[in-house]
Amino acid sequence: MNQRELVGAALTLLALLLIGYELFVVGLLNGSVGTKGQVTLDAVLISAGFLLILLGPWLWLGEVPVAVKRFVEAKTGRRT
Amino acid sequence: MQAILFLLMVLAIYAIAYIFYGRELLQNRVVKADPNRPTPAVENFDGIDYVPANKYVLFGHHFASIAGAGPIVGPALALAWGWFLPLLWVLFGNIFIGAVHDYTSMMASVRQGGLSIMSISENLMGRRARYIFLLYVWAALILVLAAFLSVASATFAAEPTAATLAILFMPLSLLFGIMVYKFGVDIRLATVIALVLLLIGLVYSFSVPVHLTYEGWVVVLTLYSLIAAALPVWYLLQPRDYLNAYVLWIFVGLALLAPLFLPFMEITGPAITSFVAKGAVVGAPRGTPAAGLDIAYFWPMVPLTIACGALSGFHSVVASGTSSKQLANELDALFVGYGSMLAEGAVASLAVILPAALFWDFSAAAQKAGISLETLKAAGIDVEKTKNILAFGAVDRFYNAYALAQATAWSKLFGLDFVPLFKGFKTFAAWALTAFVLTTLDTANRLARFAWVEMMDWVRPMNRDAYRIITNRFLASLIPILIAAVMAYPTIEGIGRAYLVIWPAFAGTNQLLAALALLTATLWVYAVLKVRGPVSLLMLIPAAFLWLTVTLALGLWVLFILPNVPLLYQIGAGSLVVLSLGLDILLIYLFVRGLLRARAI
Repeated sequence: MNQRELVGAALTLLALLLIGYELFVVGLLNGSVGTKGQVTLDAVLISAGFLLILLGPWLWLGEVPVAVKRFVEAKTGRRT
Repeated sequence: MQAILFLLMVLAIYAIAYIFYGRELLQNRVVKADPNRPTPAVENFDGIDYVPANKYVLFGHHFASIAGAGPIVGPALALAWGWFLPLLWVLFGNIFIGAVHDYTSMMASVRQGGLSIMSISENLMGRRARYIFLLYVWAALILVLAAFLSVASATFAAEPTAATLAILFMPLSLLFGIMVYKFGVDIRLATVIALVLLLIGLVYSFSVPVHLTYEGWVVVLTLYSLIAAALPVWYLLQPRDYLNAYVLWIFVGLALLAPLFLPFMEITGPAITSFVAKGAVVGAPRGTPAAGLDIAYFWPMVPLTIACGALSGFHSVVASGTSSKQLANELDALFVGYGSMLAEGAVASLAVILPAALFWDFSAAAQKAGISLETLKAAGIDVEKTKNILAFGAVDRFYNAYALAQATAWSKLFGLDFVPLFKGFKTFAAWALTAFVLTTLDTANRLARFAWVEMMDWVRPMNRDAYRIITNRFLASLIPILIAAVMAYPTIEGIGRAYLVIWPAFAGTNQLLAALALLTATLWVYAVLKVRGPVSLLMLIPAAFLWLTVTLALGLWVLFILPNVPLLYQIGAGSLVVLSLGLDILLIYLFVRGLLRARAI
C-alpha cells in the first residue's frame, strides 16, 4: 500500500467512525444529532465525516476501474 | 375534467412526442445517429470526465442532474395563473423546445469530441461568440450554484431528517460504485443491496434528524460541492445518480398510480385564474410595492417561474458537458437526452400540477374524495384558515398536494388511516426534492469548471505553467462556488433566505441560455448537418419564440423587480442578469450573421 492509499484508508476509517458514532450512538441516545438552530460539536463531527467519506475511498481505491478500461480498449483498440 | 383523463392525455402526448418527434424525426432524419460511430467517451477516455457508462446509469446521472428543484418549485409557483396555463407551457415547452434542445445539444457535443455547446458555437458563429457564450454560461452557473446552495441549506435546516438521509446516501452510493466497478459485482445484485440499505436508511432517518443552522449547511455544502465536483465521475457521480434515479422513479411511479386509484375524481381548481398575477410570483420581495402590483403577465414572464419542468439552458450544459462525455453509444442519446426531459415534464405535470388541480379547493376536494374536514384538520390543513392550495408557499403547495393525492389513493385502496399516510408522504416528497438538489450542486460546479477551462484556453499557448495552475480542477471548482456561497450565505432582512431573490434571476438567465443553446444547435443542424426546409424551421421557430419571450421577461424583471431587491443582490444577481442580457444581444447578432453565412454556402 503506497502513501496515498494509506492516507485514503485512514480517512475512510475516520469518516466511517465519525458517521457511525454520530448516527448510531449519539443519534440513538439523544434522538437526534445536534441541536436545532445551533452549531454543535456533534453536527461539526458528522459534517466532517460526510465530507471525508468523499475523499477517503477515492485516495484509497482511486484508479480507473478495470471493467471500464477493458471496454475502452475493446472499442478503440489501443491501450489506456 | 377527471383525474384519469388528465393522466391519459399527458401520457399519450409524451408517448407520441417520444416516438414521432424524438425517434423518427430527430434521431433518424435530423441527426442520423449511428451506433457504430465511436463516441468521445471511448475516443477521449481519461478516467476522470470521459468515461463510458451504461445507458441506464447515464440516464440516472442526466435525469438527476437536470431534475433539481426546478420541475417542482416552478410549476407550484406558476399555479398563481391556474392549472391549465402552467400545464400548457410544460407540455409545449417540453416537446417543442426542452427535449429538442437537450437532445441536439448532446448530439452536437458527441459529434464534436465532447465539446460544450458553447465551444461548438465557435465553428458556427466565430471565435468571439465562443468566449461570450462561455462567459455567459459561467455567470449563469454561478447563479445556479447560489440558488441551489440556498435551497438545499434551507431545506436541510427545515427538514433535518432529509439531511440524515443525504448523509447516509453518500457512503451508500460509494459502496455501490465500488461493488460494481472494483469488485465486479453484478449490477442487479448491487442495485438490490443498495436499495435495501437505502430503504433501511430512509426508515432510520425518520427517527434521527441531523440539526445544523442554515449558515452551517451553506458552509458544509460549499465544501461538498467543491470536493464532489473534482472527483472522477465513475467514483461518485455515476453510482450516486444511478441510485437517485430509483428514488425519482418511485416518486414519479406513485404520482402515476394515485390518479389510477382515483380515476373519476374531478379537478376542483380553476383552469385559468388570470393571465396576470402579482409581482411576488416573479420574485418581487414581500413588502415592496412591486410585490402587490399586477405585473406578472403569463406571457412573457412564465419562464421566470417554470424553469426545468418545461425547458432549461442548464440542461444543454449538462448534455454537452458531463453526459456527452459518458455516452457509450449514439443511440443511447435519445433515451438519455430526449427521454430525461420528457420524464422531467412528467414530474412537473403529474406530480405537481395534477395533484394541485385535484386538491385545489380543500373543502370541495374533501367532499369528492370522501374525507371529513376533521381528518384534514388532523393532517394539518384547517379549511377555515387555508381554503385552497394558493394559501401555501410554492414548496408547501407541492408537499401538501402530492401527499393529499397519495394518502387519499392508498387509504381508499387498503383502508389505512389517512393522517399517518399523509404525514409520511409529505416527508417523502421533501426527501425526493432534496435528493436532486445535491446532485445539481456538484454537477453545476463541475460544469462551471469545464466552462472555465475552455474559456482560459487562450492562456495555454502563452504560458503553459500559468494555464496548468488556473485550470487546476480544485481551483477551477473553488472560484464559482465561493462567489455563489457569498450570495447564498446571508439571510435577507424582511425577505428571508437568499434563494427567494436569486431564484427568478437564475430562472431567467437559465431560460435565456436555453434559447441561445437551441439557436446554436439549430445552426449546427442547418450548417453542419445540412438539414434544410420545414424540418429546420421546426427548430428555428420555437428557438426564436423562446429567445423573444425570455429577453422580454428579463427586461421586465430588470425594470420592475430589480430596483426592489437589496443592494447585495442588485450587485450580485442583478449585475449577472444585466451582463447576461448584454451578452445575449451580442450573441443573437452573431447567430443571425452565422445563419446568413451558412445559407450562402
